[in-house]
Amino acid sequence: MEANTLNELKKFALDIRIETLNMISKHGFGHMGGSLSVADAITVLYGNQMKYDPENPKWDGRDYLVLSKGHCGPALYSALAIKGFFPREELLTINKLGTRLPSHVDKNLTPGIDMTAGSLGQGVSCALGIALGLKLQNKPNMVYAIIGDGEAQEGQVWETMLIAPNRGVKNFIVLLDNNKQQLDEFTEHISSLGDIRRKAEDFGWYALTVDGHDLSAIDEAIEKCKAEDKPGFINMETVKGKGWPDKEAILGNHALRGAAFAGVDEAIDNLRKELAAI
Amino acid sequence: MKYEMFDAKKIIGEVTLQEADANPNIVVVSTDSAPRTGMAGFIAKYPDRYYELGIMEQSAIGVSSGFATAGKVPVFCAPAPFVTARPFEMFKIDIGYMQQNVKAIGRNCGFNYSDLGPTHYGLEDIALVRLIPGVTVLAPIDASQLRGAMRTMLRHGGPVYLRIGTAPIHKIFDEEAFVIGEGKVVREGKDVAIVTTGEIAVNVFEAAETLAAQGINAMVVTMPTISPLDEAIIRKAAEATGRIVVVEEHYEVGGLGTAVCETCAKIAPVPVKRLGVPHVYLSAGPYDDLVKYCKLDSAGIVETVKAFIAQENS
Repeated sequence: MEANTLNELKKFALDIRIETLNMISKHGFGHMGGSLSVADAITVLYGNQMKYDPENPKWDGRDYLVLSKGHCGPALYSALAIKGFFPREELLTINKLGTRLPSHVDKNLTPGIDMTAGSLGQGVSCALGIALGLKLQNKPNMVYAIIGDGEAQEGQVWETMLIAPNRGVKNFIVLLDNNKQQLDEFTEHISSLGDIRRKAEDFGWYALTVDGHDLSAIDEAIEKCKAEDKPGFINMETVKGKGWPDKEAILGNHALRGAAFAGVDEAIDNLRKELAAI
Repeated sequence: MKYEMFDAKKIIGEVTLQEADANPNIVVVSTDSAPRTGMAGFIAKYPDRYYELGIMEQSAIGVSSGFATAGKVPVFCAPAPFVTARPFEMFKIDIGYMQQNVKAIGRNCGFNYSDLGPTHYGLEDIALVRLIPGVTVLAPIDASQLRGAMRTMLRHGGPVYLRIGTAPIHKIFDEEAFVIGEGKVVREGKDVAIVTTGEIAVNVFEAAETLAAQGINAMVVTMPTISPLDEAIIRKAAEATGRIVVVEEHYEVGGLGTAVCETCAKIAPVPVKRLGVPHVYLSAGPYDDLVKYCKLDSAGIVETVKAFIAQENS
């Protein structure tokens, strides 16, 4: 990846994290941990990979992202606002009465959101349906789905894992935000996914593991998947809460409320300084 | 009265194929049962538009929703409990909430799968799907109406659930355009109104003749659309007769009977008797025996209507 592109992506990622922390802390509640762990994948998708038109969100040449771990809407809303799908000020309306930005992504409400998600495991099936529908029309559009490691405990995820290679879908890439934590506990202590990359490979996917906070590595992994004749599975090793050092990888950072946001202003300031220094 | 009998699955398959000829966006989604739903012709002619996913109804609903986003018109048909009860949340969110243009068919509804027993009965599918706002619920009365309902459903923009048995289905009416949301008075009467849906209606028609011979003139109203409900025709039946019996092959709780009660409570308060499957776990058994057990045969309907009138008059 060229240095300039990487710099732009780094700025975009910081911007997403700043907006995400700002919107959920000002609202006083939000899914902080996962929104921050998935921010770099969203950065690469909207910063360098996906085709889209903020002026025309339903443009039929667009690529699709289904955020199957729908509770991480704040990170995606931040990216969409930064890219011009709607005004940045609107981010502060999250979860207000009548908002277009509910905490979980909603097709009916938000420009740029193609699938409603929130009940885990469902979005990835819907994403596969889009990919199959586009493939049937010989369209080149890509379909991406982001799932969580906790979400991968849902049986429905494994239905999709089984179908996609069997149907010969190759315009479909699933990214696993493997932040190793779920609501109650570390995933490994609840029901470990084991060697998830290998499991995906055994199911017939082109599967790789990358550092989910290395923008170049994510981008390169997507390129590799696109070159393959199979659906792609990218196991992104991530840190829940990445970008707010005090909250990184600690239990209880899934969703924060009220007093748990103490110190968020300093965290945002530090991210702004980092952004200004690039 | 003797009616010509048709294979419901064959009708589903034939109409799907006809409509697919005209609409290249129609695709068929299967969970290991499409050929048994009359889709063999479609599969042979349009193999690339046929998606056999394997036994995974949750994903079948999700994948169908995704197809709709990609501009396709997916038709997913499987036994009623596996289309509604098992993937209920997917139905609610992926089809209902998102208002996706998905056509779901629950076959072998009611206790049609009498040889397979309670796991395969669809006795709560109307209740479940009519709970989901914005999903049309259809239950055609006869072979002609099934044909018309299939055609209308596939041309309609929006989510539809169609329930049907797969025993041979009577041809009672002449073919006519099927209009979603319209009930029909098929027999005038002043003593009681019998409101019914689905193929069990044929027993209601016979019961109405028997009642007439005994001096009870029953109005018969067919409701091939359960949601949205034709409230005007319920009001008309209530006002014309003062009492309503609802007959359906579904639990007495939650189905058309409940919908009629809700309507009567709102706009036409009259006594309502619900005659359906008792709210218990029904045994396996020969279909005709189950019909009799539930008093859904014509004799049971006559008995129930007469007892209801007597109770009202006492």
